[in-house]
Amino acid sequence: MTIAVQVDSEIWTKVQDAFAIALGLEEDEVTPEARLIDDLGAESLDFLDIVFRLERAFDIKIPRGGIEAEAREGMDEDIYEVEGVLTAAGLAKLTELMPEVPAEELREGLRVSEIPDLFRVATFYNIVVVLLEQKERESVSVLTTAAEERAVV
Amino acid sequence: MAVRAARPGLLFGWQDGSRPEDVVKICGLSLGTAIEGVVMGVPMEPEALLGDQERALECMVAAVEAAGPLDAVGLGSLCAVVAGRGEALAERVSAPVSNGGAATAWALLENTIAVLDRVGRSRPVAVLGARGPVGGAVAALLAAEGVEVRVDHARAGRGLDVHRATSPEAAVADCRVVVGAATTGAMVQASALSPDAVVIDVAIPGTVVGRKPTGVQILAGEAVTLPADWQRGIWGWMYHVLAGYGPSQVFACLVEPLVLALSDRSTPFSQGRTLAPEQVRAFGDSARALGFQPRLATGWRAFPLARIPAAIPGPSAAG
Repeated sequence: MTIAVQVDSEIWTKVQDAFAIALGLEEDEVTPEARLIDDLGAESLDFLDIVFRLERAFDIKIPRGGIEAEAREGMDEDIYEVEGVLTAAGLAKLTELMPEVPAEELREGLRVSEIPDLFRVATFYNIVVVLLEQKERESVSVLTTAAEERAVV
Repeated sequence: MAVRAARPGLLFGWQDGSRPEDVVKICGLSLGTAIEGVVMGVPMEPEALLGDQERALECMVAAVEAAGPLDAVGLGSLCAVVAGRGEALAERVSAPVSNGGAATAWALLENTIAVLDRVGRSRPVAVLGARGPVGGAVAALLAAEGVEVRVDHARAGRGLDVHRATSPEAAVADCRVVVGAATTGAMVQASALSPDAVVIDVAIPGTVVGRKPTGVQILAGEAVTLPADWQRGIWGWMYHVLAGYGPSQVFACLVEPLVLALSDRSTPFSQGRTLAPEQVRAFGDSARALGFQPRLATGWRAFPLARIPAAIPGPSAAG
């Protein structure tokens, strides 16, 4: 299982809490490798609830359809998928974006509609980590700009 | 609170830049002199509402404030599924907030039992969407009635004596009665249904995908009749029609806050993801006492049970 080079226990605890509350589970049932739909029994609207709780817990904004949208970015429709089935390029991009998913599940013939079946708790953990890093960079950038403006004045 | 069809923006010209202060009173409703209600609309299109739940919450708070002092708040359509299904709003307003789940489950349960009384209970009943609050509660209540229940997922119906199928298609196989309770529909291909299946559906979009076989009935499972003292005025009538209820019925979730306000409860019938069977029963008792009755419907019209064959005749023995 690859979820990140090092798991930040503070972040993980909040992620675990969000899942446990949203899905009505015990915390120990929420493991990084647990699949949302097959293992935790999540249904589509639970995804909304999970996103809402994570956004509140970390003061971040998780874009709707984030992973899929990012996978498609820069690719023409028929390079990413053909008639709902992911192409080799589409699979390669998803493999890169979802390192927590075992390679054998990102198989030839995977349909776009099946992507949510692959989501693990770790998928959301990774999204949170990326967004927190992004937020940190933006806040440093804002501080730097403010400092530069003060210096000019 | 929001209209069922979730397209009020098309009527009122709301766009993505609309502010929470742009909430609008759609119409008033009353039940004789016992209670008055107001239907408020939030200024967001469905995509925006699902994509920015914090903003949706701000709009809902603004709508509650604009409505004036309230004994209860009910959530409809997409307002009922965002921001923790009523939990986040409940932290911001003083009145109890109900998300309509208990009312939907009650109507669905009563309609399902009515169909079972017609067709018999010799075959299992499939409950699709049993992982969700409404489906879970209905599965539990049907099982408590002694009905053989099949659910559509290995994780559904935890703690219940039900058969867990591995997929929606496996769950519906050979079932005469199918309950569509998923929070989003499009769960099962029509071809997977038994040729004599009766689908009682509350999912939006509908549970069944594909062309419906001739013998299959798909009925709306959450309509309730209006008591004689239900008043709504011309705007209310228009709202009923535009929102898809029709002139003589409403969907159960609209009724839940009225029943809640009249029941003197300080806690809602349904909020968040949990919906206990006892809450559904409690809601049903109160709603029935006020004159609300579930009814099977197709579109705006009631669907008479007599139109469901009690049993499909077997193949003729004659050559």
